[in-house]
Amino acid sequence: MDIRFDNAGVDYGPRTALFPLSLALQERRIGVIGLNGSGKTTFARLINGLVKPTMGRVTVDGLDTVAEAAKVLGKVGYIFQSPQNQIILPIVRDDIAFGLKARGYDKARIETAVDSILDRFGVGHLGSRRAHELSGGELQMAALCSVLVTGPDILILDEPTNQLDLKNRALVQRTIMGLPESVIVISHDLPLLDDFERVLVFDQGRLLADAPAAEAIARYRELAA
Amino acid sequence: MQTLHVDVDTWLHRLSPRVKLLVLTACGVLLFLTQSIVLLACANIVGAAVYLRSGLPIAEALKRLRPILISIAVFSIFAALVGPLNAAIVTALRLVALALFAATVTATTSMAAFIDEITVLAMPLEKLGLLKAADIGLAIGLVVRFVPEILDRYRAIREAHQARGIKIRLATTLAPLIILTLRDADNIAAAIDARGIRRQ
Repeated sequence: MDIRFDNAGVDYGPRTALFPLSLALQERRIGVIGLNGSGKTTFARLINGLVKPTMGRVTVDGLDTVAEAAKVLGKVGYIFQSPQNQIILPIVRDDIAFGLKARGYDKARIETAVDSILDRFGVGHLGSRRAHELSGGELQMAALCSVLVTGPDILILDEPTNQLDLKNRALVQRTIMGLPESVIVISHDLPLLDDFERVLVFDQGRLLADAPAAEAIARYRELAA
Repeated sequence: MQTLHVDVDTWLHRLSPRVKLLVLTACGVLLFLTQSIVLLACANIVGAAVYLRSGLPIAEALKRLRPILISIAVFSIFAALVGPLNAAIVTALRLVALALFAATVTATTSMAAFIDEITVLAMPLEKLGLLKAADIGLAIGLVVRFVPEILDRYRAIREAHQARGIKIRLATTLAPLIILTLRDADNIAAAIDARGIRRQ
C-alpha cells in the first residue's frame, strides 16, 4: 500500500473540513482517531475518492483519486459507519453477488466467489439470511464480505465496532487483525487500535499527531480531557 | 435493506419475473381500456385472489396495502365530489386492481431477480443509446427497497413523539422523515459508488 497526500485538503464553501496535509501511508494497520467533526471521515473518504480534494492531490499506489477514480475505487474498499446502509439487497448472498454482477462476472464465477468469501470468514450460514434479521456483528461481517469479494488491496472501516456488544466487537476485532489486506480504521474504540502500527489524530480538520498507537492514543486522551 | 418479498415457495414465486412483469404491464394497459364497472370489479376479485395466494398472512397483506388504499379512497372521494360518481368508481376500481397485481409481483419476486429482469427489459433502450440498463434496474430496485425502510423510519418517528408525549402531526413527522430519508439516500449512494456498482 502506498497512499500519498500531497498538500491535499477539503473546503466545503467557507468551512474547511480538512486543512492541507502531506503524508505517506504504507503501514498495514493504520488507525484514525479524533473528536466528532475533526475531519477523520473526510480524510478517509479522500483515500477512496468519495470526497475529492479541493486543493492538492491524493494518490493510491500512484493512481490519482480524481483522474483515475474508478481504478482507485477498485483498489480501496470502504465499510461505512452504518453497514445496514451499505447492504443494498435484502438477502446476504444476493448482496455479496451484486458488486460482482455489476463488474460483468458470469454466474458460475459469481457463485464461486461468493462461496469463497463466505467460507473465508466462516459465515456460510449467513448467505441465505435476510440482512435486516442479522445482529450487529453479523451485519458487519456481511458488509465485509460484500466489499472484500471484489478484491480490494486496501480496506477502510469507519467505526466498525460502533454499537456492537462485547461478543460482536471481539469478532470484528479478530477479523480485522486477521485480514491480509492493508487496513485503515476510523474509530472511537481506542483498545481496538492498540496493536496498530500507526495512528493519526485529527482535531478541527488538522492532523494533530501521527505516531505509534500508544503515543497517539495518549495524545488523544489529553486532547479529549 | 428490508424486503417486501415473501420468502415462501408458491407457483407465483416460481413464475419467471419476466412473465410477471409483462402480465402486470398488460393488466395495467387493459384496466385503462375498459370503463365497465363489472369487468373492473372482476379484475379486483382476481387481483385479490392472486394477492392472497402470495404467501402473505391476510392481516399483513391488508396492512401492506393500507396506505395505498387510503390514498385511492381519498382521491376517489375527491373525484366523486367534483365529477360524475360513475367515473370515480371506475377510477377507484382500476387503481385498486392495479395495486393488487403490483403488490403480488412485489411479494413474489426477489429484489435480485427483479433488478436483473428490469435490467434485461431496459437493454433495448441502452442499445439505442438512451440510458444505461443497469442504472434503471438499480433505480427501480432501490425504490422497492426503500418502501419498508421509510415505513420503519415513520414508525420510529411516531414512537419518538409518543415517548416525549408530543401529539403526532403531519407537519412534525413529515420533516424529520424527509430529512432521514434523504440522509439514508445519500449514504446508500455513497455505498453504491464505493462498491463500484454504478461505474461498470
